[in-house]
Amino acid sequence: MIKEFFTIFRESENSFEGQKEGEKVLLLLRRHIFVILVPLTLFTLGALVPVVVGALFWSYLADNGWRELFLLVSSLWYLGFWLSIFYLLTIYTLNTVIITDRRIIDRDQHDFFNLKVSELHSDRIQDVSIHTNGVIETFLEFGDVTVQTAASERHFVFHQMPQPEKIKDLIMQITSSRHAGVKAAV
Amino acid sequence: MFPLEIIFNIAAAIAFLIYWVAAFIVLYHLTRFGIGVQPKRLAAIFLFGSLIFSALSIVLFMNVNITSLIPK
Repeated sequence: MIKEFFTIFRESENSFEGQKEGEKVLLLLRRHIFVILVPLTLFTLGALVPVVVGALFWSYLADNGWRELFLLVSSLWYLGFWLSIFYLLTIYTLNTVIITDRRIIDRDQHDFFNLKVSELHSDRIQDVSIHTNGVIETFLEFGDVTVQTAASERHFVFHQMPQPEKIKDLIMQITSSRHAGVKAAV
Repeated sequence: MFPLEIIFNIAAAIAFLIYWVAAFIVLYHLTRFGIGVQPKRLAAIFLFGSLIFSALSIVLFMNVNITSLIPK
């Protein structure tokens, strides 16, 4: 039973809330890993603060009997640090674009209690374009994917997606398959 | 018990309560709304780290004698 429980860390399906019966997830997308690595790296510098303070003032803290208090404050610092790191990772992880054989769902999680979900049916897609801006995006192969709908002048932009070319091709393949009345092969 | 010690204990209890409420929100979002394997793994790592850091903080909190810090 315990073994079965741990399979969720290896074999969880890409199922989502509101998934229709028989609807197949073709692609689950998150922003490129570089997008989260930059703030995480800057944040990690914060982990050095207690180490630096301790190294500089250790003897002073010990002389005044503040060593235990300093260690307690440092551990609380690391608790806050741990929480902040995972706050960033949670927001990053929950920002997803789900491409199914029927529609595209864009989940924009701005905050824990600030979520915007947009949905786009593949038979309403008219045009897909990509935009790679700058040296980093070009070398690391990520960029914005813009999907234009037929319904109105509305368009959807998926920011900083990895391998935008592949995404564009897949969306176009799904759209043409829907128009032709056959299922997309991925 | 000296009033300062009581205040110190209450402040620590409130800090832990705030931490674990925030931790619950993170864990809830990752497990409830996360899609695929990655959020579940992150939730497990976060929970494990939170327990370790909390245990460490409690041990260090027990070692602090707040009354000895007040200048006489």
